[in-house]
Amino acid sequence: MVKFTADELRKIMDYKHNIRNMSVIAHVDHGKSTLTDSLVAAAGIIAQEVAGDVRMTDTRADEAERGITIKSTGISLYYEMTDEALKSYKGERQGNEYLINLIDSPGHVDFSSEVTAALRITDGALVVVDCVEGVCVQTETVLRQALGERIRPVLTVNKMDRCFLELQVDGEEAYQTFQRVIENANVIMATYEDPLLGDVQVYPEKGTVAFSAGLHGWAFTLTNFAKMYASKFGVDESKMMERLWGENFFDPATKKWTSKNTGSPTCKRGFVQFCYEPIKQIINTCMNDQKDKLWPMLQKLGVTMKSDEKELMGKALMKRVMQTWLPASSALLEMMIFHLPSPATAQKYRVENLYEGPLDDAYANAIRNCDPEGPLMLYVSKMIPASDKGRFFAFGRVFSGKVSTGLKVRIMGPNYVPGEKKDLYVKSVQRTVIWMGKKQETVEDVPCGNTVAMVGLDQFITKNATLTNEKEVDAHPIRAMKFSVSPVVRVAVQCKVASDLPKLVEGLKRLAKSDPMVVCTIEESGEHIVAGAGELHLEICLKDLQEDFMGGAEIIKSDPVVSFRETVLERSSRTVMSKSPNKHNRLYMEARPLEEGLAEAIDDGRIGPRDDPKVRSKILSEEFGWDKELAKKIWCFGPETTGPNMVVDMCKGVQYLNEIKDSVVAGFQWASKEGPLAEENMRGICFEVCDVVLHADAIHRGGGQVIPTARRVVYASHLTAKPRLLEPVYLVEIQAPEQALGGIYSVLNQKRGHVFEEMQRPGTPLYNIKAYLPVIESFGFSSTLRAATSGQAFPQCVFDHWDMMSSDPLEAGSQAATLVAEIRKRKGLKEQITPLSEYEDKL
Amino acid sequence: MLYKNYGKNGRNLMTLCLISMLAATAFSSEQENSPCDGEATGGELRRVAIIALLFLFSSKVLAMDLETDYEVAHVAEFISSHQFTRVALQFPDELLKDSMRVVKALRQELNSSVKLYVMADTTYGSCCVDEVGAAHVNAECVIHYGHTCLSPTSKLPAMFIFGKGSINTSNCARNLLNYGLKSGKPLLVLFGLEYAHAIPEIENALACHAPSVCGGISMLEHLYADVSCSVMIPCETCKRGVGNECLAEETSQHYNIGGLSWRLPQGRKMEDYLLLWIGLENPAFANVVLTFNSCEIVRYDPTEDCLMTDLSQQKKILRRRYYLVEKAKDANMIGILVGTLGAAGYLHMIHRMRELITKAGKKSYTFVMGRPNPAKLANFPECDVFVNVSCAQTALLDSKEFLAPIITPFEAMLALDRGSQWTGAYVVEFQDLIGSTPQRTEQSEEARFSFLQGAYVEDLDLQDNHEPEKDEILALVNTTEKALQVRDEYRQSVMKSVAKSGAEYFASRSYHGLDINSTSALPGEFLTGRSGKASGYKDEKTEQ
Repeated sequence: MVKFTADELRKIMDYKHNIRNMSVIAHVDHGKSTLTDSLVAAAGIIAQEVAGDVRMTDTRADEAERGITIKSTGISLYYEMTDEALKSYKGERQGNEYLINLIDSPGHVDFSSEVTAALRITDGALVVVDCVEGVCVQTETVLRQALGERIRPVLTVNKMDRCFLELQVDGEEAYQTFQRVIENANVIMATYEDPLLGDVQVYPEKGTVAFSAGLHGWAFTLTNFAKMYASKFGVDESKMMERLWGENFFDPATKKWTSKNTGSPTCKRGFVQFCYEPIKQIINTCMNDQKDKLWPMLQKLGVTMKSDEKELMGKALMKRVMQTWLPASSALLEMMIFHLPSPATAQKYRVENLYEGPLDDAYANAIRNCDPEGPLMLYVSKMIPASDKGRFFAFGRVFSGKVSTGLKVRIMGPNYVPGEKKDLYVKSVQRTVIWMGKKQETVEDVPCGNTVAMVGLDQFITKNATLTNEKEVDAHPIRAMKFSVSPVVRVAVQCKVASDLPKLVEGLKRLAKSDPMVVCTIEESGEHIVAGAGELHLEICLKDLQEDFMGGAEIIKSDPVVSFRETVLERSSRTVMSKSPNKHNRLYMEARPLEEGLAEAIDDGRIGPRDDPKVRSKILSEEFGWDKELAKKIWCFGPETTGPNMVVDMCKGVQYLNEIKDSVVAGFQWASKEGPLAEENMRGICFEVCDVVLHADAIHRGGGQVIPTARRVVYASHLTAKPRLLEPVYLVEIQAPEQALGGIYSVLNQKRGHVFEEMQRPGTPLYNIKAYLPVIESFGFSSTLRAATSGQAFPQCVFDHWDMMSSDPLEAGSQAATLVAEIRKRKGLKEQITPLSEYEDKL
Repeated sequence: MLYKNYGKNGRNLMTLCLISMLAATAFSSEQENSPCDGEATGGELRRVAIIALLFLFSSKVLAMDLETDYEVAHVAEFISSHQFTRVALQFPDELLKDSMRVVKALRQELNSSVKLYVMADTTYGSCCVDEVGAAHVNAECVIHYGHTCLSPTSKLPAMFIFGKGSINTSNCARNLLNYGLKSGKPLLVLFGLEYAHAIPEIENALACHAPSVCGGISMLEHLYADVSCSVMIPCETCKRGVGNECLAEETSQHYNIGGLSWRLPQGRKMEDYLLLWIGLENPAFANVVLTFNSCEIVRYDPTEDCLMTDLSQQKKILRRRYYLVEKAKDANMIGILVGTLGAAGYLHMIHRMRELITKAGKKSYTFVMGRPNPAKLANFPECDVFVNVSCAQTALLDSKEFLAPIITPFEAMLALDRGSQWTGAYVVEFQDLIGSTPQRTEQSEEARFSFLQGAYVEDLDLQDNHEPEKDEILALVNTTEKALQVRDEYRQSVMKSVAKSGAEYFASRSYHGLDINSTSALPGEFLTGRSGKASGYKDEKTEQ
């Protein structure tokens, strides 16, 4: 631990070239937190006065209990490089002191919104991969996110100790495993390559891959060994590094390097010969307590042990020796300092991703140059509950300028539109705070390139916001974060005691703030709904709600509720007609399913109401086979004007049609939000207005007549087009040994899941299974799975797509009909679906 | 419905039709010397005349019934004792068939100087006294028949005849007793006004049943509500007691809802009682359920002759209202529906609402459109929510058919007054709100959390209020300009959420009326239009 005062820490914060903001990302259980701990233990910054009694790893009680990380936590590290070490560093620097702001993020997919929030405020990522399990689904997800944010990654192959102790594999086999892990990671990185970021793949021979054992606190990069051997072989370090990886073999007998295995028994791969074997040897000697052999070896390596450490035995001795020989902190920190960008470097290319406004204005330039004298641009990525109940720190990153205590800032919320006053506040920052371990220290100001927490803004920021100086009225906000998961699992909550309702309302507000992903809403029936990314996420949210935000007042939660979508299978069997209340106006309509992929294109925003009509009609005609003219006749999207349904005008020569367009659109928005089956949103339907008969007097074809009629005709056309329900489906990835496969398959079958990929991980006894699983069946899935495989299988579920349920909801007794009846009952609607005759009229 | 009613009177449909036709043709000539003494208002004359004619033919078999049900003697006494000379008789639609016979019976009791007028088809709910209708004939008092909400009148004295619903009193008493014993709570008996006549009987029956059943171990405690008044004489000075709030005196608490009133003994709370409702499931009952939502309530249904204990559907209403309040918080434009022109204090309430809405930074529009229906309200799609200022029993309008939700003034106060909280207490009668001053918790600066969007939002105008508008004219130009910009960007969609006023909403529509600056100045081509009728024009092929 490094003892510091706030002033000293503040001083380093000015050296923008000597700062590294980085996050640690990985699949669940690959050892992020453990690795982070070993870094923190060595280089974590703590306030001088509390040194000794602070436990850095102290987090939430439930995190410890479950053994997973739930919230991302930020920690600052201090590292001083030697001049010699920095000799080969080409980038700009100011002195040898480095400040590393590290954010440990959760690996479970349910909490990946926390990862997103962490990535936004960092410039580099340490990707941790388990050397045995390899690259998993969540590794891929977070890597993709990181590259999307233009975060440069470095890799560490973790849990090396498993190779030596558990699996006892020989050098060549281990090398092959590592090589595959790195290759897999590189494949993903290559897919998301981006010209501005340059080559983001990682290479051990370039020092961007580390090998670590988080649990034992040691790690190395090839640089470590190259330094050691370079002088011996009389080559420079970089040359040596190349030899230590890849197809380079060394035969000690001939003392020759070859690029092929010569077949001689002494000929070994460079990596095996010079890195793997020595480590293996040391570990084995330690484990066998052959101290007489150990000390000379250590002396040769230049490792000196303290006398009390020499008394240790077995594993403890091994741990101590390895930590002294190859300390994790120096290997990893040096890798970060060398290969991850400083804010000054990173912001040059990240500005395009970050800033919404024109890229040549003062704000964009200030971000680009990481200019501490420029206007303030600060992005608040999450809210952190303060010890003061109900209050929050606004946590974020300063991209340009300085934020200081008492500064008046302009808060631009996610709905802010430049030039308007919506979602905009001007407030002053009460305090700016930096974390020194668990202790918060107030500082006068925080310059760009650093993370900061602010007090006094929590009432005006929901989840995230852009802050700038009060006077900077022209500034555009920093782009909102895009989450890779969506809140698909919902529960209704109510309080046990009716009079606790105000507490519940207050609690829900705070919950909404504390988590970037959770959504607190209200149903038509008046029930409060909490929506989260998965079962585990919800469980944690509700626990927080009850214990932290409601002061322990009891709540009742319903069973998880899944939202469905309503769609159609084919074109309406006939053109349906509805009459207005006064019988003087008639609307004719047909419904048909949207072309495959079109609903997704609308979801992604590739097609939407704000498109240039020309671009839109080009996409529609080229990708979806629409008629060019027709593409120009889309009236609107819905629900909420952006949803994946549309109204298209197919009428020919109808008088006054333009007059009722707004009314039809209003009726459609209304109807597409509450479909005819169970009042769920509609999805993937195109409504074609076929013909319209209107009264000649404008007064008789007003909104009052047309809006309810449009709604009815939308329903009627929906019901005649073979209505179907869409259910959300998870993509499940399970990793398990062969003997657990039987259990996995039987649980998946039982839960209506289907496996579409089964692959053995080369070099391991593990299988990788990918399957689709309906969200509604996923509740209790992981516990059932654990029971069926005696705890060997652990699933990761991510929402993947909407799947059509094949049964007909209009046919009594079918599965869809039962579902519809259930939803209707929950919503307090009439049990029976309103019949078509209520919506359709006859001439 | 009609057929059934007349069938009961021993008339078949054929006769009815015949008479109706006769009446319809004869009407125009007979208007001056119509066979009835009363005059009906407006377009209802014809209907009244038909019924009058009908009853000329009908026998007097039901006279006894008429006498007791309509309390003719009682009414006559009331009229003569107050020396009213012009009296309006207000009937709801379902009792209209008896109106002529009532008039005839009253005629016989009163001297000839008294003029009687029959009123039907009220503009708003038939439960309220139609004071405007009565004013058309300069009536001095209104006799209201049938179901009523007993909303206080603003100008005219009124007398209420509730009618008498049939009920099996002994059965009812037994049911109540059994349930009461099971729950062990003291009983509070409330009832639909049409069953008021049977209450003493039930009381007696309960009293004599009770000792035999519980064997003298514990005497059940009952409490009965009273009908507060069947005669209403408005005066400026006397203020009605505030509804479900206890009055100042400590000794007992006084409650008043929908014409029922009762006092609780000292130290008792409403929650301690088991509420028993004798009557049908109607708005009056819904109001009781909403107001005393924390009490256990059971309902005895006289027509089914059984006890209904499952009220989950009723309880759901409260939650639904809660949702509507949340929805109203997000509204930018609010329509005020004038739902009554009679109930005392309605004007005050409308002003109050308008003030409240403006203060909350939203725009209000006032609509007078009689009884609201979906087609009428959908003519104003710019309104996000409507506040219905009307009597308690017509105020709760909740139907999926409406484009925008309709809330009560109480709910509007909850929604628009920042800092007020939904505690579960519910007030249905707007008169009770007039006296109450909103309990203001200190106005926090925090942004409002919208549960509909699941995020913090800020009401648009609230922020503008900080800077006083310097130039009215310029401000208007600015807003219009802004609205136009908005429209340019999103031509395709109706940006309902953005518009802050009707003008802005209109500007964001794609159709703005006829385009005068049309490019082609030439007269259009002459075309033959459609012919036929709206149910199917001649050029349309008939389906099926």
